[in-house]
Amino acid sequence: MKRKLAAAIVIAGMMVSVSACGGDDDDSGKNAGPDSFKGQTLTVWAMDGSTPDQWVKDVTAAFEKKTGAKLKFETQKWDGIQQKITTALSESTPPDVLEVGNTQTPAYAATGGLADLGDLKEEIGADWTPSVSQSSVYDGKQYAAPWYFTSRVVIYNKKIWAKAGIKDTPKTRDEFFKDLETIGKKTDAEPIYLPGQNWYFFDGLTIGQGADLVKKQGDKYVSNLGDPKVAKAMEIYKKYQSYSKAPKGKDEATPQQAEVFAKGKTGAFIGMGWEAGTAVTANKAIEKDLGYFPIPGETAAKPESVFLGGSNLAVAQGSKKQALAKEFLKIALSDQYEGELAKLNGVIPNKKSLETNLKGNVVAEAIAPGAAVGGTTPLIPEWGAVENTPNPIKSYMTAVLNGKSPADAAQQVENEINKRLAQQN
Amino acid sequence: MSVQTEGTDTAGEPAVRKARVPAPPRGDSRSTGAPSRRRAATPYLLLLPALLATVVLLGWPLVKNGMLSFQNLNPRQLIQHLTEWNGVDNYREVLSGGDFWHVVERSVVFTAVNVVLIMTIGTLVGLLLARLGRKMRLLLLVGLVLAWAMPVIAATTVYQWLFAQRFGVVNWVLDKLGWHSMADHNWLETQFSTFAVVTLLIVWQSIPFVAINLYAATTTIPRELYEAASLDGAGAWKGFTSVTLPFLRPFLYATTFLEVIWVFKAFAQIFAMNQGGPDHLTETLPIYAYVEGVGNQHFGLGAAISFLTILVLLAITSYYLRMVLKQEEDEL
Repeated sequence: MKRKLAAAIVIAGMMVSVSACGGDDDDSGKNAGPDSFKGQTLTVWAMDGSTPDQWVKDVTAAFEKKTGAKLKFETQKWDGIQQKITTALSESTPPDVLEVGNTQTPAYAATGGLADLGDLKEEIGADWTPSVSQSSVYDGKQYAAPWYFTSRVVIYNKKIWAKAGIKDTPKTRDEFFKDLETIGKKTDAEPIYLPGQNWYFFDGLTIGQGADLVKKQGDKYVSNLGDPKVAKAMEIYKKYQSYSKAPKGKDEATPQQAEVFAKGKTGAFIGMGWEAGTAVTANKAIEKDLGYFPIPGETAAKPESVFLGGSNLAVAQGSKKQALAKEFLKIALSDQYEGELAKLNGVIPNKKSLETNLKGNVVAEAIAPGAAVGGTTPLIPEWGAVENTPNPIKSYMTAVLNGKSPADAAQQVENEINKRLAQQN
Repeated sequence: MSVQTEGTDTAGEPAVRKARVPAPPRGDSRSTGAPSRRRAATPYLLLLPALLATVVLLGWPLVKNGMLSFQNLNPRQLIQHLTEWNGVDNYREVLSGGDFWHVVERSVVFTAVNVVLIMTIGTLVGLLLARLGRKMRLLLLVGLVLAWAMPVIAATTVYQWLFAQRFGVVNWVLDKLGWHSMADHNWLETQFSTFAVVTLLIVWQSIPFVAINLYAATTTIPRELYEAASLDGAGAWKGFTSVTLPFLRPFLYATTFLEVIWVFKAFAQIFAMNQGGPDHLTETLPIYAYVEGVGNQHFGLGAAISFLTILVLLAITSYYLRMVLKQEEDEL
């Protein structure tokens, strides 16, 4: 009897250890210790402008020190990114970690191309700001880690404003228009550079009017461009655009608005904090003339609402280096490097506690008031398709700017938007 | 006549046809038993590498594309490697929507306008080449070859810059010449204007091919024919219509055929210029297939459109294909 028991215990013990081994194999295999990552290379796709050089250098050093693996950053352009990510995720060797825009994250989560990061959230994500983390949750699961968010501000050329005799930055929209008019009259500069298709700025204006670009009808989403509130937002955009000679059929990236601004003949533009860096790279002399202020709203009490652009970091489901990818996320999103990114890029970090890094940062201080009343496009998987090139929202904007009535322009693109919203994933 | 054009197969076609008839090599080898059977196989063996390359590089993708066109393939299916057959749904969706037929109409008109312009100007430049003195001809040839050698995307970028709204040379020149309202003109604002810029680009790119081809053709025309014509009292125009043109006709047919295909499938020029915009109005069939398929990530639908595109192209070129086939029959 005793012998039998002993045998049973031995057998049970063996089984446990065997299954433990098996568990290890499944989970991370030979990737258990830091040394076993040696010789591997982790590929990270980051978007244009997201990763300042200093940050990349510091994170790479920390990552390579901790894991012994190599880290490779590849910078991607926003234009056409969705097709690129789709294709990449379908391949057998996708990039291991990807930066995904917040409004596009639900669509990718729905495709099954992103790995479930529930365990990572438990480990490091307890105090992620819920509103920021929201876009990466789909069907109750965490498909990405919130990274940062930011919004647009007015970046202006102090020299030109001084030349026009303007002393203070505007507090209301009407004051802003008046200032732009003064610049147009008193200087030979273009008051503001605003191309016809800066749809992120337009989205902020619609949020300011209390409207959304889509609405729910029954159980599906349809275009809401016909809403008079959206028309009102578009009229405001049109008024802004009337102070610019920028092409009505282009967006802010063609040509890069910051590079136009860098020539020193433009009073202001509406852009992201890091675009100031783009301007300085193009023309060092512009640096001392740069100033920032929140986009003024209807009244001085409440600044203009803005689109909260943000990015999440996701791990490809098809990546064979999941454990290493999570190591990277733990380093990149650690208080030290998340804080450094906030400081360097003037973006809002994923935790409230890290916002102290923004103190004294002129860009971030201009962002904060608007971000408080900001919003995003609807965080639904159907939305991603609407942003595909050619974006019907952009077509709508160009049509209105070229003289169509907002209602007619809305009707013109409605079918296209509804078709895209109805598209199955 | 047959003596003069011997060896220049493609040149004086009527003469060649006559020359070929007496000696069909396959005919006599077939009648003389076993060893010659191996010889009969040789042409097929020699064809094999080319055929194989065509099958691998063209045939297989075509089959794959055909299969995709019967599938519901969106990002989810692509990423998870799912195969969802949906019969002829894609074709039904494309053919029942009005968009497709608009795009077909636009593609045909666009191709026609471009090909007419290319052939007219190209032929004139070709004839000019034949008339020029040595140095000028060399200069023109070098210019043509450089234009021809320019990569498509590079050329398109140059044209984008030329016609850029704010910093474009064209607007700057027009402004300097006193047409001040053109200083900030947006060339890509309307359908017509965008097509005009694209047409200019495509015509500029294709003229060298037509011109050099036709110049080469004119060099095969025997001088004596012109002398004979002028002795008969033919003027310049008569000489052109009754001597030059008959010689050039097969060239004109072949080049037109090639240009139709080339213009019809032009993608980079139109897409890079304005992404088929404004508002989808400059989408031709290849662009439409790309925007719906790759752009909107409806890969099955895109495959169906691209298949229909091939059918439309076949229909357009059928006249020439019939002519070629008939000619082959005549020869046999």
